[in-house]
Amino acid sequence: MSDAARENVDIVAPAAKRRQFFLNGGHILLGLGGVMLAIVILTALFAPLIAPYDASATSPESLAPPSAAHWLGTDSIGRDVLSRMIVGGRTTLLITFSAVFLALVAGLILGLLSGYLGGLVDEIIMRALDIVFAFPVFLLALTVVAAIGPTIPNLILTIAIVYTPAMARVVRAPVLSVKQWDHVEAARSVGMSETRIVLRHVLPMVASPILVNTSLTLAQTIFTITALSFLGLGPPPPDPNWGGMVSESRQFMELAPMTVVGPAAAIVFATLTFIVLANGLRETLDVGN
Amino acid sequence: MKRVILTRLAWTLGILLGVSFVAFVLMRALPGDFAIAATGAQSVAPEVLEGIRRQLGLDRPLIEQYVIWLGKALTGDFGVSFVTRQPVAGTVFDRFIVTFQLALIAAIMSIVMGSITGLASARLRGATDWIVRMVNGVMLAVPNYIVATLIVLLVGLYFPQFAILGYTPFLSDPVGNIAGLLLPALALSLAVSVTVSENIRAAVLEVANQDFVMVARAKGLRRGAVLRDYLIRNALTPVVTATGLKVAALLGGSILVETIFAIPGMGQYLYESINSRDYPVIQAIILLTAAIVVLVNMLVDIAYARIDARVRL
Amino acid sequence: MLETEMSETVMSETGPLLRVRDLHAEIGDPRAPVHALRGVSFDILRGEAVGFVGESGSGKSVTARAVMRLAPEGAKVRLRGSVDFAGRDLLQLDESEMLDIRGRRIAMVFQDPMTSLNPVMTVGAQIDDIIRRHMNLSAREARARSVELLGLVGIQDPARRADDYPHQFSGGMRQRVLIAIAISCDPDLLIADEPTTALDVTVQAQILRLLLRLRDERGMSLMLITHDFGVVAGMVETVNVMYRGRIVETGRVDAVFAAPAHDYTRRLLAATPRLHRSGQAA
Repeated sequence: MSDAARENVDIVAPAAKRRQFFLNGGHILLGLGGVMLAIVILTALFAPLIAPYDASATSPESLAPPSAAHWLGTDSIGRDVLSRMIVGGRTTLLITFSAVFLALVAGLILGLLSGYLGGLVDEIIMRALDIVFAFPVFLLALTVVAAIGPTIPNLILTIAIVYTPAMARVVRAPVLSVKQWDHVEAARSVGMSETRIVLRHVLPMVASPILVNTSLTLAQTIFTITALSFLGLGPPPPDPNWGGMVSESRQFMELAPMTVVGPAAAIVFATLTFIVLANGLRETLDVGN
Repeated sequence: MKRVILTRLAWTLGILLGVSFVAFVLMRALPGDFAIAATGAQSVAPEVLEGIRRQLGLDRPLIEQYVIWLGKALTGDFGVSFVTRQPVAGTVFDRFIVTFQLALIAAIMSIVMGSITGLASARLRGATDWIVRMVNGVMLAVPNYIVATLIVLLVGLYFPQFAILGYTPFLSDPVGNIAGLLLPALALSLAVSVTVSENIRAAVLEVANQDFVMVARAKGLRRGAVLRDYLIRNALTPVVTATGLKVAALLGGSILVETIFAIPGMGQYLYESINSRDYPVIQAIILLTAAIVVLVNMLVDIAYARIDARVRL
Repeated sequence: MLETEMSETVMSETGPLLRVRDLHAEIGDPRAPVHALRGVSFDILRGEAVGFVGESGSGKSVTARAVMRLAPEGAKVRLRGSVDFAGRDLLQLDESEMLDIRGRRIAMVFQDPMTSLNPVMTVGAQIDDIIRRHMNLSAREARARSVELLGLVGIQDPARRADDYPHQFSGGMRQRVLIAIAISCDPDLLIADEPTTALDVTVQAQILRLLLRLRDERGMSLMLITHDFGVVAGMVETVNVMYRGRIVETGRVDAVFAAPAHDYTRRLLAATPRLHRSGQAA
C-alpha cells in the first residue's frame, strides 16, 4: 500500500513543478478552445437573431453564388446557406451535448462501480465492455438508429449508448489506483460511508482524465451525428442540421460549392473546438495520454 | 511465445462468442417484425405470418434460435437475403474482398504518411515539428466523409475528365483497380495517419532520451543504424498497437467512404441492407466486422510480444 | 599536413595518448549558458589508469563526453580548447571522422546497465553491430568474436547467452555485457563513467576487478569517473579531483590520499566511507 502511495507522489511531483509557469502551451490552447467554444455556443443560442434569413424560407433564386445578400449563396431550393449553417448548429449541438451528458453519467456509474467494487462486478462489466468494443462505434450507431428510427430522442439515446463503454473505461483506470491511496484508506478507517468516500475523495481525483475524455468524446460525437445525418439518418426535416446540409447539397455541389463547403467548415470548426479544448485541458491538468 | 499465442487465442474465442450473441440479439431485440421483414411486404395476413415464423424458427426460445443460428453461421450459412433471395455468405464475401482492398490500401497509406511526418517531427523538431502538429490537429477535426466529399467536389470542379466514382474489379484491370481505390483510401486514411504520426513522434522522442541510444552513438554506429535498430525498433511497439486498434475506425469509416465513392464494398452493402431491412445480411456483416476487429486485436497483441521480448501476456 | 603527421608519430610514440588542454564546455541557450567546464587540462598516458573524482555536477561526466564528443539528445554543447588524441585534435574532426574514433579507439561504459542495453535486440546482436561497424568481419566471424568477448567478461555459457535479451540478465551481468561491447574493438582508451554506482556492493568489486584485469591484459588506458574515492583507491595511478568545472588537484593516487593539498579534496576524502578502502587490498 505504501508503495502505491510513494509511486503516486513521484507522479505528482513533476506536474507541480511544471505548474509554476504562468503561461504555457496548455494555457494558450485552453484559452483558444474557450473562445472557440463561446463562438459555437453563442451562435447556436442566438441563431435566429444572428441568421440574416429564415433558414427554411425558400426563394426562386436557387443555387445562387455568394453575394452581398447571400454571403454563402443559396441552396437548390433557394434557401440562404449561411442562415441554415447558423441555425443548423442548434440541432447538431443539442444532440451532441445531450448524448455526451448521458454517456458521461452512465460511464461514471459503470466505471465507478467497476473500479471501486472490483472483483466479480469489475470482471463482468469489463468483459461486457470488451465485447461492445469489438463493434465499430459508427456501425453500431447506424444499425441501432436505422432500426429504432431517426428521431432526436432516439439519436441522443443511441449515441449515448455507443460512447458509454469508452467513458466507463476512462473512469475505471484512475479509480483503481485512487482507491488504494492513503487518504481514501484513512477515510474508510474512520467509518465514512462508501458513497461519501466515492463522492468526496475518489470522484475529485478522477475528474481530470474524465474532463479531457469528455471533450474528446464531444468531438467524436459531432462526427457520428453529422455522419448519420449525412447518410439520411439524422434529425427529421425541416430544421436544418450540418450533416444533412452536406448530404442534400452533394448533388449540386459542383454548381454551388459553398452549399457543401459552408456546413463542412462548421462541422470542422466545432470538432476542432473540442479537440483544442481537450489538448488544452490535458496539458494544464497534466493528464497522461 | 507459444503460451502467449494460446492464451490470447482462448481469450479471443470467448470474446467472439460474446460478439456473436450481441450481433444476434441486436437484430431480434430491435423493434420491427423480423417475420414481416422476411416477406418483404408491408403487411401480411396473420395466418401467413404464423407460417413464416414457424418456418424461420422464430417461435422457439431465443437461446435455441441463437444456437441454431450460430451453428449454421459456423458452417458459413448465414441464411438467405430477404431482398435478393440469394445466400448471404457469398454476396457478403464478394463485398468483403472490396472493403478489404480499400482498408488495406488505406492502412498502408496511413502508416507511410504517419511514419514520415511523425519521424520528421520528432527528429527535426523546430518548425517542422510545429507544422506537423498543427496539421495533425486540424486533420483530426475533418471527418472522413467530408474529406471524401471534398475530394469528389475538387476533382469534379478541376478535373471533370476523370471519373473517380465506381469500382474496377482487380481481376479485370489490376492497375485501374488500385488507382481507383487511391482517392477513397486517402479519405479513409487521413485521420488514422494522424494517430500513427502522433504515436511515432511521442515514441521516438521518448526513446531518443534512453541511455541505450547514447550507448549506440558511443559505439560509433552510423546515424542510419542508430535510427533503424535503436530508435525505430523501440518506437515501433506503441505504433503497432495504435495502428491495429484503428482497424475498427477503418471498417466503420468504409461505410461512408464507399457510399460516397460508389464502391460496392461491405460498408455500402450494410447501408443498403439497413435501408431495405435485410436482416440476415446486416447480421452477417456486423458479425464479420466485429470478428475482424477482435482477430486483428489478437494479432496486434502477438506482434507486440514478438517485437518486444519483454512482453509476457 | 606534414606537420600534423610528424606530430602524430612523435606524439603516439613518446607523448601521452590523450592530452586535453584548456577545455571549456558551455551547455544550453547561448544567451544564458551553463559553464560546465572552465579550462580543464590533463594527460592520460598509454596504458595508464586515471581517476576523475568529484561530486555530481563537478564536470566529470561532461569531460568524458567532451572527449567522445557526445552530447545528450537535443542538448546544445559548445566546446573550446583542444583534445589531442594520438596526435589529432578531436575537436577539429568532422562528425564522420569522429564516428571512426567512437567505439573503435575510444570506448565508453555508462552508469546504468539497466537502461543502457537495447531491450529489443539480443545482447549478441548488440556486440555484433559494433564489431561489424569497425572491423571487416562477416556476420559469422563477428558473432564468434562476440561470444568470445562474453566469455572474457565472465558470462557463463556465452554461446547460448548471446541469443538472450537484456531483460534476461541481472544488473551486474548487463554491465559485463556493456564492458564486452566497449572492449570489442580493442580501443586505446576506455572511459568508464560511474560504472559501478548502480550496482550492488558485492557486484561493484567484481566489475572493478574485471576492468582492472582487462586494462592489464590489453594495455589500454582507462579513464575512470566516480564520485567515490574508495573506488579510485586500488584502481588507478593518477587521480584528478574536479570541482565546479575545474581540476583542483592532480597527482599520484597514494600521494593525494596521504596528503590532500586542496581543501575540497580533504572534504571529499572525509566523506568517503571507510568500508570502500578495502578496494585497496583487492
